[in-house]
Amino acid sequence: MTRWGAREATWKELCQEAGKALFDDVTNLDKKSIDSVFVGAAMPERFAFQSYVTPMAAEQLGVEPTRMAMRTEMACVSGQAAIRAAYASIASGLSEIALVIGVEKMNLPNLSESHSAMASVLDREWDGVHGLNAPPYFAMVAQRHMHEYGTTREQMGLVSVKNHDFAATNPFAHYPKKVTLEKVLSSLEIAPPLRLLDCSGITDGAAALVLAREDLARRHTDVPVFITGLGQATSGNLVGNLKSLTTWYPLKTAAENALKMAGISIDQVNVAETHDCFSISEIMEYEDLGLCRKGEGGKFIEEGQSQIGGKLPINTRGGLLGCGHPLGATGVAQAIEITWQFKSQVPQERYVGGEWGLCHNLSGNANNHAVMVLHRGG
Amino acid sequence: MGKPLIELPYLLDFYPLEDSTQTRIHPFFENLRKGDLTTTRCKGCGAVLWQPRVVCPKCNGDEMEWISLPKEGTLFAFTEVRAAAPLGMEKDVPFVVGLVELKGADIKLISRIDGARYEDLSIGDPVKLKVLTLEDGRVFYRFVPSAPAHR
Repeated sequence: MTRWGAREATWKELCQEAGKALFDDVTNLDKKSIDSVFVGAAMPERFAFQSYVTPMAAEQLGVEPTRMAMRTEMACVSGQAAIRAAYASIASGLSEIALVIGVEKMNLPNLSESHSAMASVLDREWDGVHGLNAPPYFAMVAQRHMHEYGTTREQMGLVSVKNHDFAATNPFAHYPKKVTLEKVLSSLEIAPPLRLLDCSGITDGAAALVLAREDLARRHTDVPVFITGLGQATSGNLVGNLKSLTTWYPLKTAAENALKMAGISIDQVNVAETHDCFSISEIMEYEDLGLCRKGEGGKFIEEGQSQIGGKLPINTRGGLLGCGHPLGATGVAQAIEITWQFKSQVPQERYVGGEWGLCHNLSGNANNHAVMVLHRGG
Repeated sequence: MGKPLIELPYLLDFYPLEDSTQTRIHPFFENLRKGDLTTTRCKGCGAVLWQPRVVCPKCNGDEMEWISLPKEGTLFAFTEVRAAAPLGMEKDVPFVVGLVELKGADIKLISRIDGARYEDLSIGDPVKLKVLTLEDGRVFYRFVPSAPAHR
């Protein structure tokens, strides 16, 4: 992990920092044994006017892959997509030891350029052209969720309060400060009903991990973390053609498939990272992951069910709301948080531990969801 | 006159390149210029598709006909962009954007809602088509409230 924030650093420098952190942590790893590199990066073409970033990232890290090298681009899911691609490559026998790095440099001197880049994630010609972007899109999701289920402004605010509480324990977070509900509800209106503290930030950062075949992984750690379930579903793209604004059907499918592959139920998960790009997103994730009934996500946060001690602690890292959201890096950082939880490498205030973890990434107008189940080995 | 044809480089400008050298659905823009909101219907299976297409995703047919869509609809959802607008749209802030459900058609589309503030509007409010002509002569669609703002 690098420190996340509005960093005075280029994307390549962030790669170097993430590589240093990784190689300092996994001390007995010979770089020459890394045969594959997967780079999760959503839009370096827009944020850094740079294509073809995989060889450059590998060069920054001092790695020369001999089996697989590729970039994954799935907007905000680019990070988990890189892990999925590495998993598939290892599972197929093509790769043995893969380095996965997610990186995004989003802060530009003119932030309107960053917002333009973000708007190009939507169908630029038919949706983005109207000024639709992530905040106004998720604002409409929130408006409909409030309209259909009676979710309240305060309930959404509580998600932000919880995740900032966790972020305050995380030295890598962009916003490591607690906030009060009053502060959330009086922060700048970005797109009503959403306010600044309902939105994840424009953040620079990188995160890297190593994925290896089981026998090789055991040589490097006493607590290997295994990917035991993967699910991804994508449905539609143009906003007007989406089946629903308030039920994320692809999330239901992705979660069902990932849990089935892992052979567990959602009730067995001990700790989860879900994609709280906006406060309303986490509320809908409680529902569509099956943690509560549809429409009762607001009540779930109100009752503290996603806190430590509740039904399932969610986003102990601080989430996207507290850590920021460097698009390609988020999915990788989520997996690192679960790994650190399993290895007791997080501060006591946010320690959950356990045996089963779940990571969820979504992208675009929530038309694509990826879910991964992690199991603590030993 | 005197304005550059496109103020931003093509690939930073959100509006589609709409003439026949760039897109096969140029009739959409030609019809819109005449005040008509249209889309394609598949001659093979009858599917009405939004956005206009050249191949039907349902039956794989590639014979399309242009049909007119209702110019009226209702607001299914909406918000107002008050900050963080994309390049070229900063000067428009604040502006309303919404999801419009076309009257009598099974089509919803995203549109800028001109002539209203967020506080003026409610879910279900009627809106009607407005044709926007850009400075460089291209056209695009927006919607406006059917009734005058009640505030």
